[in-house]
This record gives sequence, structure tokens and C-alpha cells, in this order.
Amino acid sequence: MSLVEKRDEAVRYIQSELSETPKTGLILGSGLGVLADEIEDAKVFAYEDIPGFSGSTVAGHAGRLVAGRLKGEPVIAMQGRFHYYEGHDMKTVTFPVRVMAALGVETLVVTNAAGGINESFNAGDLVIIEDQINMMNDNPLMGKNDEALGPRFPDMSTAYDPKLVALAEAAGHNAGVALQKGVYVGNTGPTYETPAEVRMLATIGGDMVGMSTVPEVIAARHNGLRVLGISCISNMAAGILDQPLSHDEVIETTERVKSDFLNVMKSVVTKLNEEGEN
Amino acid sequence: MKDMKVHVHEAAKSLQQKLNNEPKVGLILGSGLGDLAEEIENPVKTKYEDIPHFPVSTVEGHAGQLVAGSLEGQEVIAMQGRFHYYEGYSMQDVTFPVRVMKELGVEKLIVTNACGGMNPSFQPGDLMIIEDHINMTGDNPLMGPNDEELGPRFPDMSTAYSKELRDICENAAESIGFSMQKGVYVGISGPTFMSAAELKMLRKLGGDTVGMSTVPEVIVARHAGIEVLGISCITDMAVGEEIEGVSHDEVIETATKAKPRFIQLVKQTLSSLA
Repeated sequence: MSLVEKRDEAVRYIQSELSETPKTGLILGSGLGVLADEIEDAKVFAYEDIPGFSGSTVAGHAGRLVAGRLKGEPVIAMQGRFHYYEGHDMKTVTFPVRVMAALGVETLVVTNAAGGINESFNAGDLVIIEDQINMMNDNPLMGKNDEALGPRFPDMSTAYDPKLVALAEAAGHNAGVALQKGVYVGNTGPTYETPAEVRMLATIGGDMVGMSTVPEVIAARHNGLRVLGISCISNMAAGILDQPLSHDEVIETTERVKSDFLNVMKSVVTKLNEEGEN
Repeated sequence: MKDMKVHVHEAAKSLQQKLNNEPKVGLILGSGLGDLAEEIENPVKTKYEDIPHFPVSTVEGHAGQLVAGSLEGQEVIAMQGRFHYYEGYSMQDVTFPVRVMKELGVEKLIVTNACGGMNPSFQPGDLMIIEDHINMTGDNPLMGPNDEELGPRFPDMSTAYSKELRDICENAAESIGFSMQKGVYVGISGPTFMSAAELKMLRKLGGDTVGMSTVPEVIVARHAGIEVLGISCITDMAVGEEIEGVSHDEVIETATKAKPRFIQLVKQTLSSLA
């Protein structure tokens, strides 16, 4: 089965349950899935029930799609995502983005928990992603291109829409949360970086590092979606502070900044909704 | 993953039937450095091909056997020859012996390699304590589902190379009058040596030495909770601005010259371990 056929099968399954077309897609990272609980008139789809979806395996990831209205905006949210380090190929990792695009999503908001490289960041900071560096040694668009999905050579010069960066800045202001801005480096993991690797990533221009987002944004851009990215700095990357890293720390920090994250995201979605009405 | 655990167990069990010691220290001996295993007392040698599920080494200068016994009062097991990613093995195969060592009871791993010196203050024949590494192999042995019994999903790598073991090694070197280099090892996949432009890049990225091994083994050792000491033997200079080309013969020749000092250093380090 081709990617498009497989996608359409998933779309048919989801669409039959939806009462309206979602305009904004949300990918909720480690510990940030709680936003989906605020979606009204929610239709919930467990990943294992959706044709073509795999199950999510990481602690802190629920593994379901939630569609409904958030602050008036018709949204569809991924509570839990597929990670490359889990052994999924890039096509599987980005499959939900293909499905969201085919469902009618025009704007994708990707979120993640990331390690802070930029020393002016602190654990708990929320960062608007301005750009990304792909250090995953792979690309979801390898192989034959289907022009029905997007171009052979997608432009990545404005992968993260500058208008949405400005929108998020205004949303942060409205929510009373100071937001940072920076460049996200996508690594495969699953090991956290060594201090030498973190210094390297600082040298090449990275502000934060994580194990997701990059493939999804590549597929979204290929598919013509506008992208906004928000990282939650769940810990400072190795060597920045003299302490070991743990997944528990990631979850603890995201728990601590949950209300800030929720407020910013709701403000973002409110603004997207207003933008749509203008 | 389940198969891997079964395979590790079967390999370890088969070795345990032959061994007359319980090794606590593992040694991985790099290109041209395998002779250290000849110093092991009461050695039990097992060819890789005789160990269930072990891959088989193909590169010149690597013997391909495990040697277990005593060295400087430590119960050790040494890999004479290792598996390289560039030979076409999966990362899981490359690191399989480390899993087996863990199963045998190994708590500390001394991993050694021959490598190119990118730091211009280094010289061929220098020995370097690895302080940290950069994984530029493009792969990671822990990709795929994780088995929590083997180690955590997201291993911390902030102290991949034990500070305590580095200090012990440095003191050991001092006590026998050697000066050691210290630095960051960059692991690449190979099998090509780096171009001048690539060497300049790796130097800018913070690397002091570059080689085609070690990084996967250290990742798995850390995942398994094994303390790691890394020692590089700088067999050729790999300074992008003045690179003249290098052959495997040259690597082996320099490693052979550095070997007596290398052997002395590792023995002194072993005798200093608690």
C-alpha cells in the first residue's frame, strides 16, 4: 500500500467520527499531553485503533488523537508521538502529520521537552523554535517523492513560520509568560548527549536539543503546513550544570511549568482562531 | 530485543563453563594493541567463532578471541580484536560482547583504540586518556525498544568516562614516568579516513582524536551501568591543515612502537584498581 493509500485509510477512519474539520494540529511532547484534556466535545482515537498508526511506547506519552474545540478553534491533538529512537522509521514517525494534513489541518503546533544548551536558558523556560538543525542522519522524505504530497526538494528557509513566531510572542505576552527564542537541534537519542556533544551543538548554533520534532516539521513543510514550535526546557543539557540527567527530571519540570505551558498554548490557539476569523 | 537477551545469556553461559575466573574488569584491545592479552596469567582463550551468537572479526590486525585470566591481581577478560561498524555489523552486534561481559560480572571496562590525533599538540605514539566522546557514527546501539532490565530508556552520558578511573589512570602514568594526553574522542563510522575538510570540521566541533570504534561500546557499557576508562593510542596525525594521507600499515606500525608503553600503562592502572 502506498503512503497516500495508507494515509487515506486512517483519514477515513477518523473523519467518520468528526463533526467538523480541524484547522490546527497539535503535537504534545513529553509531559505536555495535558493540554488535550482541555479540548471540548472531544473525540478520542487510541493510536492502536487507527489504521496505519503504531503504538507509542515511552513513559509520559499517552498515545491517542483528541479532536474537538480548544478556545473556539477546531483542533486535533496528538497526545504522545512516535520517536525515531523507538525503532520506528521516519515514515512512521511522520505518518500522523500526513494524516492531519489530509484531515484539513493548515497550521501545526509542535511541542517538545528539550535540554537547554544556551546558557541564558533555565529549566522550566518555554522557547519559541525559530529554526532547527537536523542531526538525526535521516530524513522522512528519503525515497521516491509523491508530488501529491509535496515537492521533491522542499524549501526549509522558513520552516518555522515567522508570522507564527510573532503570534506566539504576543500570546506569551498576553499569558504573562516570558518566552525565549532559539534553534532546536534534533538528535536521535536515546542516549542523552555527552558534555562534548553539547559543546559541539553550541558551536554549530543550537540553543536546545531533543529527540523529536525535526522529522515532523520536515513532513509538515513538505505537506505545505505552517509550523509553530514550542520547546519546554526540561533540564539543562549535559555539562552545563554539574549533575546527571534523568527522564524523571524531564517529567518533573514539565509538571512544574504545566500551567505556564497551558496558558501560553491556549493563548496561541485563541490567536490562531482570531487570525482565522479575520 | 528479547532474542538479544537470550543470546547474551547463552554466550555468557557457554563462556562460564570454560572460565576458571569471575572477571570484574573487561578490556577491549584496539588495532595493534592486542598483545596485552599475552600478559594475562592462567589464560583461558576462546575464539569468537566458538562463542554462541558472537559475530566474527574480519579486519587485519585483530585476532578475534576472548582471553580471561589474571592481570596485575585483577580478574580480567580481554577482547583481542573487536567488531567494527564499518565491517557491516549492526550496532547491536558491535556491542554484543559488552553485554556478555556485563552478564559475566564485569563492573569496569577499559576500552582502547588506535586513532588519529587532530589536536596539533599531540604526536604519533602519544597515549591519551579519553575524557569524553562525540558520537558522529550516525547511529546509536540503543535505537529500538528498550529493555529496562538491561538499562534505562534514556541513559545519562554526562560522565560517560569515569572521573575516578581517569584519575587512577593519570596517577598510574605519573608513577611510571609517562606523560599522558587528555581529550575528546570523535567516533566516526569509517571505513574511509576523514578528508582534510572533515578533520578541520571535527576539530572545530571539539574533537582531539578521531577513530572508528569505542563510541558504541561505551554507550552500551554506560547503559549497562559499567564504569568506563578509555585510552587512545595516537597512531597518526590527523590535522586537517597538514594531512598527508595515512595507511592501515602506518597505524599498525606506530601502535606496535607504542605498545610497550601502552602495556605498561594498562598494567599499572589495573594494579591501582581497588
